[in-house]
Amino acid sequence: MKRRLTEGFVLIIAAVVAFPLFWMVLSAFKPEDEIISADPVPWTTRPTLDSFTRALTVANFGRYFLNSVIVALVVVVLSILISFLAATALTRFRFRSRTTLLIMLLVVQMVPVEALTVPLFFLMRSVGDSVPAFGLNHLGSLVLVHLAFSLPFAIWMLRGFVAAVPVELEEAATLDGASRFRFLWQVLFPLVAPGLVATSVLSFIHAWNDFLFAKTFIISAVENQTLPLALQVFVKPDQNDWGAIMAGSTLMTIPVLIFFMLVQRRLVSGLAGAVKG
Amino acid sequence: MAVLDSISTGKRSVADRPPPVPRKRYPKWATRAPLLPALIFLIIVTQLPFVATLVISFMKWNSLDPAGRGFAGIDNYVNVFTDPDLRSSVVNTIVLTASVVLISLLLGLGLALLLDKKFAGRGFVRTMLIAPFLVVPVASALIWKHVLYNPEYGLFNGVLNWLGFDAQPDWISTMPMTAVVASLVWQWTPFMMLILLAGLQSKPVEPVEAARIDGASPFQVFRYLTFPHLRQYLELGGLLGSIYIVQNFDAVFTITSGGLGTANLPYMIYQTFYQAHEYGEASAAGVIVVAGSIVIATFALRVVSSLFKEAK
Repeated sequence: MKRRLTEGFVLIIAAVVAFPLFWMVLSAFKPEDEIISADPVPWTTRPTLDSFTRALTVANFGRYFLNSVIVALVVVVLSILISFLAATALTRFRFRSRTTLLIMLLVVQMVPVEALTVPLFFLMRSVGDSVPAFGLNHLGSLVLVHLAFSLPFAIWMLRGFVAAVPVELEEAATLDGASRFRFLWQVLFPLVAPGLVATSVLSFIHAWNDFLFAKTFIISAVENQTLPLALQVFVKPDQNDWGAIMAGSTLMTIPVLIFFMLVQRRLVSGLAGAVKG
Repeated sequence: MAVLDSISTGKRSVADRPPPVPRKRYPKWATRAPLLPALIFLIIVTQLPFVATLVISFMKWNSLDPAGRGFAGIDNYVNVFTDPDLRSSVVNTIVLTASVVLISLLLGLGLALLLDKKFAGRGFVRTMLIAPFLVVPVASALIWKHVLYNPEYGLFNGVLNWLGFDAQPDWISTMPMTAVVASLVWQWTPFMMLILLAGLQSKPVEPVEAARIDGASPFQVFRYLTFPHLRQYLELGGLLGSIYIVQNFDAVFTITSGGLGTANLPYMIYQTFYQAHEYGEASAAGVIVVAGSIVIATFALRVVSSLFKEAK
């Protein structure tokens, strides 16, 4: 009996928590007059795809979507490679200033982005003078900053996973004639996969969600804007297009949802591993 | 977390001890080379700009007045601390971060404890509870602002209406800060829940069973076994949460546009830099944020760990 009560209780909380999302998807399918009705009802009798069509055609959503996907995927791949190497060096080898480096990583993560927006803006502007693809108004500049802000956390989290792989394994691999390089990529890399998964989710979400840098770096090149900015196109002082905003929000949530579903199981164990380090 | 522990306690924990040296010695450069890409990259993109921030923060520099550029001494810092808008943005940042982190940690702990029990449909409930974390923050802020808070067609007032209340408050203008906090708590509780759930599920079962057999009450089990085990997970959640919420820009920008006394530091810096073009002042504010967050993080970690040490 008590158990049933807990179950019911949890279910109600979950329903309340998820309700705004249900409402978001519902509004995306509602015809326009129902969205701004003073008597909102939690269903619709006339579902329509109009809002999605408007979002995709009027605001060139497809283009922004592609931009966001490119930035997020490049950041994830690069951060996996770089953080894996760094985490290995930090756990497997001992050298002077190892602890200092670890603490430095932590401090980097704690520097709030707002402290860096000003110089990063200038940095990207001068980078753009020599390599336009990584300068202001280009997607490359976003890749650079997101990579920088997701790396410390990724390295930090992966440390625990690399440390959990027994050193004997490396010795065995060396005895069997495996080169350093081979050991790294064919033995260690697959073994820390759960950790890589957990870190990649966070890097992905980080890059995908960003609003501040997209807003400050991509100033005049409209074709290089990312999704969070595209949403603002529909927000107007006089007449907001709610249907399109909700349709856009729904579309934006789908990739994160898919990514998350794929890695859900590993994420919890991944976070646990990060603490064990 | 070993790093954190060693910082907060001043002692090196076991896990932090360097691993035993492999039989074969590698040349010096080979052991450090894998670290280089990350290190060089981080230095260029985060460390050098921070040094630049420091330098600019001591300069008089407004892009609308390029001729007036020069050394300003500590003028920018004085301005930041005397300008009432900037001062209130410091307070707002602290209030916002502290309340969001504490509330979402508490709620997350409650939910994690509930989810740790086995019941039918647990996977489904868990997915539903995690969902808010997966929504893009800007979208989430828009949902809260218009779908929930809107005085005319928002859901909150719709429910009030449906329950028979006449009051139709304008949520955002009557309680702007609470409105922002509520939307952020909704987004961050799932994150805290995930971390704490990971902690709960990595907890060994035997001691709990032994305690039960010895007649410990569920509260005692929680207080003396579960809670101490969760400590570092709570710390991790609190630390990561603070790092991200101190930087929050989307919610404030979208829900109140920094008005009604909710402007936090990121918003203020954005305004000083991109609208007033006061580069020096914006940088000074940035430096203050960094100093503040390092002090608070170190202090908070020490206090928290010492509290737990005494409890043990």
